[in-house]
Amino acid sequence: MSLDLTLRLIEAVNATPAGSTTLVDVDGPADVAIANRWTAATGNSLLVVHPHAVEIMRGRMVDPIGALPENRRPGYRLWVYTNFHCNLACDYCCVSSSPRAARRVISVEETAALVRDAADTGVRELYITGGEPFMLLDLDERLHAATSALPTTVLTNGMLWQGERLRRLDALPRDRLTLQVSLDSATPELHDRHRGAGSFDRALAGVRLALDLGFRVRVAATLGHDAGNSESELGSLFDGLGLDDDQRVVRRVARQGEANAGLTVTRASLVPEVCVTADGVWWHPVAATDPSMMVADAWSPLDAAVEAIRDEYRRHRLRSDILASTFPCA
Amino acid sequence: MSGGAEVVVGAVAYTANVVPIWEGIKEYFAGSPAPMDFVLFSNYERQVDALVAGHIDIAWNTNVAWVRASRRTDGAARPLAMRDTDLAFQTFMIARAGAGIDGLESCKGRRVALGSRDSGQARILPLHFLQREGIEASDVELVIFDSDVGKHGDTGRSDLDALRAVLDDQADVAAVGGNTWQALLAAGDETVAALTVAWESEPYNHCNFTAMPSLSDERAEAWVSHLLDMDWDNPDHRPILEMEGLREWKRPELSGYDSLIEAMAAQGIADGW
Ligand code: SF4
Repeated sequence: MSLDLTLRLIEAVNATPAGSTTLVDVDGPADVAIANRWTAATGNSLLVVHPHAVEIMRGRMVDPIGALPENRRPGYRLWVYTNFHCNLACDYCCVSSSPRAARRVISVEETAALVRDAADTGVRELYITGGEPFMLLDLDERLHAATSALPTTVLTNGMLWQGERLRRLDALPRDRLTLQVSLDSATPELHDRHRGAGSFDRALAGVRLALDLGFRVRVAATLGHDAGNSESELGSLFDGLGLDDDQRVVRRVARQGEANAGLTVTRASLVPEVCVTADGVWWHPVAATDPSMMVADAWSPLDAAVEAIRDEYRRHRLRSDILASTFPCA
Repeated sequence: MSGGAEVVVGAVAYTANVVPIWEGIKEYFAGSPAPMDFVLFSNYERQVDALVAGHIDIAWNTNVAWVRASRRTDGAARPLAMRDTDLAFQTFMIARAGAGIDGLESCKGRRVALGSRDSGQARILPLHFLQREGIEASDVELVIFDSDVGKHGDTGRSDLDALRAVLDDQADVAAVGGNTWQALLAAGDETVAALTVAWESEPYNHCNFTAMPSLSDERAEAWVSHLLDMDWDNPDHRPILEMEGLREWKRPELSGYDSLIEAMAAQGIADGW
C-alpha cells in the first residue's frame, strides 16, 4: 500500500546519514513510481531499483556526468566503426582487424541516417574508425555525410592514399575533417615490429601527404609493453612535423582484441564513449568486439542507447564512490 | 563564556545528519565577520543548561526549549533568527478517511494518538488545542508514543508511530507535525487518499536561534545578517538549507510562541524533566 510505503520511506531516510544509502522494500512498478516521486520532492535520490527494493541516497546526488569535462561526457562524441577489415594485421589491434577479418560494413545510407540521428541526439563530434576505413572505396561518401552533420575525425593507418582513393580524399572538405594517423614510434623498428615491415615509412609518408593536402592531421601513438621511454623521441618527431599539442595522442595499449597484455578495461572502470558498429552499440571503441562491453544489438534509437549508457555510468560511479567510502580495513 | 573569536552555537544531535549540516554552516561562516563553531548535545535540556550557564553563545532550540530558556532567564534569552518554516508550523489531526472525524469536537470519545511528551507539535500543543475546545484528556482515549524523549519531536519518530496506529486501527486520529504531513504528501496525493485532515491548527512558531545577553548585539547582528544571506539558489548553500528544512532564514516574530507558552504553563510542564 502506497501510504505504508511512504511511511517506510520517511522512516528509513530519516535514519540515514546524508550521502549514505538505505534499502526500502517495494512491490512492483507502482511502488517504484511513488518512491521516485517522493525522493524527487524531498531532495533525496533514488539510485538503484532492485527486484524487490529501491536504494535511496539521503540528499541530492551530484550528477557524476556533470562532473566530467564537457567533451568527456558520454554522448558528446560518437564513434562509428564503418568496417572491420584492414590492410594490416597489427599484433595488438584492439578489434582483431586484418585482411581476413569479417568486414561488418555500415553502408553509406545507414551512416547518413546514423550521423543525422547523432546530431539530433546532441552528439557534438564524430569519430569514424575501423578496421581501416579507407579500405572502403566509397568511404568519402560517408565522410561527406558525416562532415555535413558534425565535425568529424577519421582514424586511419594513412597507407592507402593512392589513385582513386587519393582523388576522393582530396575532394573532402578541409574545415570539418581531421585525419588521425597511427604512428607508434619515432623510428621504424618499434612501429614495424607490431604493424608489419615497411608500415612505418608508409604511415609517415601518409602523415606528410595529408599535411601537404591541407588537412588537419592528428598523429596517434599506441605504446605497447616494449615501448620503453619512446615518448620523448615521439615528441621530437611530432615537433618536426609541426604538430601542436592537440594534434598528438599517446596512449597505452589496452588488453582487448589481439592484445593479450595491456590495460584491463571494464564498464565499471572506464568512462564510456558511445560507439556504434554493424553489430550494435558498445561502451567504448577500444572494446568494440568484447561481448561484455556490448550495450545494445542495434544503434536505433540512438538517444535511448546514449541514455542507457549515461545511466549505467552514473550507477557505476555512485557505486564506486560508496564502496570507496566504506572500504573495510580488516 | 566562550570568549574566543568564534561564536559558539549549540545544536542537538537528533540524527547523524546534524554533523554535515553544522559542518556546512560552519564552513559557510568561515571568513565572514562572525566565524562560528558548534557544539552538539544529546538532548535539549542539556543544551539549555549550557546556554544558561554561558558555555555556548547561541542555541538552536525547539519551541519547547526556547520557552524553557526564556523562563529560566526571566526573558533575558532572546531569539535571533528562525527558518521560514518555523514561522508557520502547524499540527495536523489525521484520521482515516470515512471515519467520521471532522474537527476537534468529533475527537470526543475516540482514540487520539499523540507523540512524545516533549514534542510541541505532536503532544503539548494538540492537548492544548483540545482543551481550548473544552475537550479534556479524560474525554478521549489517549494513545501515547513517548519515543525519542529529549529530542522534542525532531526525529519525527512519534509522529510516524501515531500515524501507524491509525492505519493499524490502534487509534482513530493522530496528531502530527506539519513537516511529517508534508513528507507524506510528497509521494503524491493518491498516497494519502486513505487519510483525511480532520483538523489543522493555526500556524505557530517552531525552532529559533536563542542567544544570551552575554553575546553583544553587535556580534549577534554580524552573525545573523550573514546567516540571512544564505541563498536557496546558490548550489553551495542549497544542500544545507534542504537538509535543515527551509528555503530562507528569517528574523523572529515572537507572537507565534504564545500558544505554547500558555500550553506549557497550563500543563505544568517543568523547565527540565
Ligand atoms: S590497429 Fe588499426 S591498422 Fe592495425 S590492424 Fe587494427 S585497425 Fe588495422
